[in-house]
Amino acid sequence: MSLDISFIGILIGSIMASSVPLILAASGELITERSGVLNLGVEGMMIIGAISGFALMVITDNLFIAIVGSMLSGVIISLIFGFLTQSLLTNHVATGLALTIFGIGLSAMLGKNFVGIPGKEFPILFSSLRESIPFFGPILFGHSIVLYFAFALPFLTNYFLKKTKLGLVVRAVGDSPVSASNQGINVILVRYCCILYGGAMCGLAGAYLSLIYTPQWIENMTAGRGWIALALVVFATWSPIKVLIGALIFGGITILQLHMQAIGFRIPVQFLSALPYLMTIIVLVVISRDSRKIKLNTPTSLGRIFYKEK
Amino acid sequence: MATDLRISNISKIYPGCIANDNVSLQFKSGKIYALLGENGAGKSTLVKILSGVISPDNGEVFLNEKNLKLSSPLDAKKNKIGMVFQHFNLFETLSVFENLSIDATEDNKSLRVRINEILKKYNFSIDLDVPVLNLSAGQKQKVEIIRCLLRSPKVLIMDEPTSVLTEQETEELFISLKKFCDEGILIIYITHKLKEVLSLCDEVAVMRKGKVVSVSQTQNERVETLANKMVGQKLAKIKKKINVSKNKDEIFKVKHLNFYSDDPFETNLVNLNFSVKKGECLGIAGISGNGQNELFQILSGEIITPDTSIIFRNKEIAKLNPKQRREYLMAFSPEDRISQAAVPELKIYENVALNNFKSSNFFEKGLVNEKKIKEHSKKILSDFSVNTDNVELKSQFLSGGNLQKLILGRELITAPELLICYNPTWGLDVGAINYIHETLIKINDQEKSTILISTDTEELLKLSDKIAVIYKGKLSKIMPSEEVTPEKLGVLMGGGSID
Repeated sequence: MSLDISFIGILIGSIMASSVPLILAASGELITERSGVLNLGVEGMMIIGAISGFALMVITDNLFIAIVGSMLSGVIISLIFGFLTQSLLTNHVATGLALTIFGIGLSAMLGKNFVGIPGKEFPILFSSLRESIPFFGPILFGHSIVLYFAFALPFLTNYFLKKTKLGLVVRAVGDSPVSASNQGINVILVRYCCILYGGAMCGLAGAYLSLIYTPQWIENMTAGRGWIALALVVFATWSPIKVLIGALIFGGITILQLHMQAIGFRIPVQFLSALPYLMTIIVLVVISRDSRKIKLNTPTSLGRIFYKEK
Repeated sequence: MATDLRISNISKIYPGCIANDNVSLQFKSGKIYALLGENGAGKSTLVKILSGVISPDNGEVFLNEKNLKLSSPLDAKKNKIGMVFQHFNLFETLSVFENLSIDATEDNKSLRVRINEILKKYNFSIDLDVPVLNLSAGQKQKVEIIRCLLRSPKVLIMDEPTSVLTEQETEELFISLKKFCDEGILIIYITHKLKEVLSLCDEVAVMRKGKVVSVSQTQNERVETLANKMVGQKLAKIKKKINVSKNKDEIFKVKHLNFYSDDPFETNLVNLNFSVKKGECLGIAGISGNGQNELFQILSGEIITPDTSIIFRNKEIAKLNPKQRREYLMAFSPEDRISQAAVPELKIYENVALNNFKSSNFFEKGLVNEKKIKEHSKKILSDFSVNTDNVELKSQFLSGGNLQKLILGRELITAPELLICYNPTWGLDVGAINYIHETLIKINDQEKSTILISTDTEELLKLSDKIAVIYKGKLSKIMPSEEVTPEKLGVLMGGGSID
């Protein structure tokens, strides 16, 4: 295996592809958390998105319906979380954990009949450019539309939070729901919207796995990516751009260490497998050590139950 | 156009507490109105109703004879009622400008222009682009005020605005408020500080226990008269037994108690000296915020001050922590039952165990002896007639009165020689107050001593053998309670002199 320039291009392209579910799920969860809601159900919402996307594709043979359907299923399952935590005031942590366990179980049940069915090829964009331009071709072109969306998402999220009125409202609610409520903001409604948005993005992240990345249904196929996405949000100190960096490092080292294992580096396999987690944490800790900035980005009311005084 | 705000028969009842009892008041623009009352008098409930945060059970609010339906803060805003809360309603992590723009209807450019106009007009200097958490308390308050001014309010309500301000900031605030008033904004100023009422306000309404007890022109009032109205000037009906402790030994003696703090919201204590005899009750009167918190914490050992001498039962205890002081048979009942005296989330018996003595064998080899603690707790519940016998009940479900009984029971069942309590009947109903007063008298009858720090003059006159007044961290001379009248206390509490 030679390390020529076109190989590196292909490698980077595959790293980007492997980061997509993390970017999508983490960006969605980031909005949820910025509104002060801690939803630990990311893994559960992702896996539900994965199975519903795949099942809809098999049933309707329409990838568009499959993608939209996976997002809707994420919305529906996060609605359960929203209703419990916002309307019935249950504890965020316990409810989120329950959501994950529920999602994994439900997806396994729903997915029984879909095991072993081959997926459908997902259309890729600019495939001719991918082949004709060396190095940059495989990096920039020949990806699915979901990947392009995923890479735009952190920037869109950043713009939304920093520049738009609605983003300001979300941050305000996450900072102090009581003050927001006293200012006449409907805190519960804002939080519901953020939870549902997070659900949609997690659903899409799941569908990316079962429709595009490895087009098939395997039980428990998210394999902990939801938890990584959750951790990324925290280690990226609720900054969308850092989430992108973190996801790329994690995806990158995951792919690299696989290659290193294949080449036969004299490093214990266990250490190589642990490397992505270790490096992601180290890099994110190093780039987010400005405690003042952390304080400004951290949603102060995260995980706290809010109810309106009567 | 002149503004006329009328509150008519407002009532708000919480379980176990009537926060507002048929409150009616009238305000007109061009004047600054004070709403005066002790903590828990119902002022904050009333302003929360006016600002739409909570809804009254009964009653109506009229603005220029229009009946307002204030069911949310938005309604208050729409009706041009601006409100600056005691606890700021700001978003700490957002910039000043973001805080102000969050409910603005105009675009950012014109909003910035308007904010800068206000800054210039009232001589405020605030950087709009720094996060609010970098601002001082005074600046934060200005942000709140600007937020109100941006909506050109007819009414501006200030809830205890100076409780977080330094003296310099307070002066600046008063200048601004007078300006607003001249511009026709009706100002309602909520406070428990008497001097502020006299120096700033034109009219004053005094609230006590949820009711309006007086409305008057401030020019006809003095600090003493207001203090009496605020704390209630009814003479104690049942006086304590005759003072029999004249020739007893001193059990507790404090010398050179000084306390200096950099925190502008703490009160410095200046050279306090006093002593308590066996079986005696020393009352310390004063309006809250004059150093009582600090004094209690020093007496209980939460704060250790250098160079202070505290002799208790012939031993120097000034350097001991609260646990060690308890071992010498001192007991404490802090003002804040929920956060200082008890842990609300813990069960009754667990709260009882928190105050553990070496002798009480609640803990054996690091393990909790639940059976012992529960037996002990049951005894407290029955001895102190707490309204439950379920020691497994979480303390937060006890009413204030029952919780106070539990706390007193916990402290007293070890037969302490000295009990120090701070506002033991704060916020309680009459029945519970009587029970606690009887208990405190009983302690003295058993030759045990008490120090009663209280803002309730009635209570002090009823229970104390000697009374001193704390004002701005200084203690007045200690007077035998038979020489003390509510009027004298009022003068001393307001910083006056009676010689």
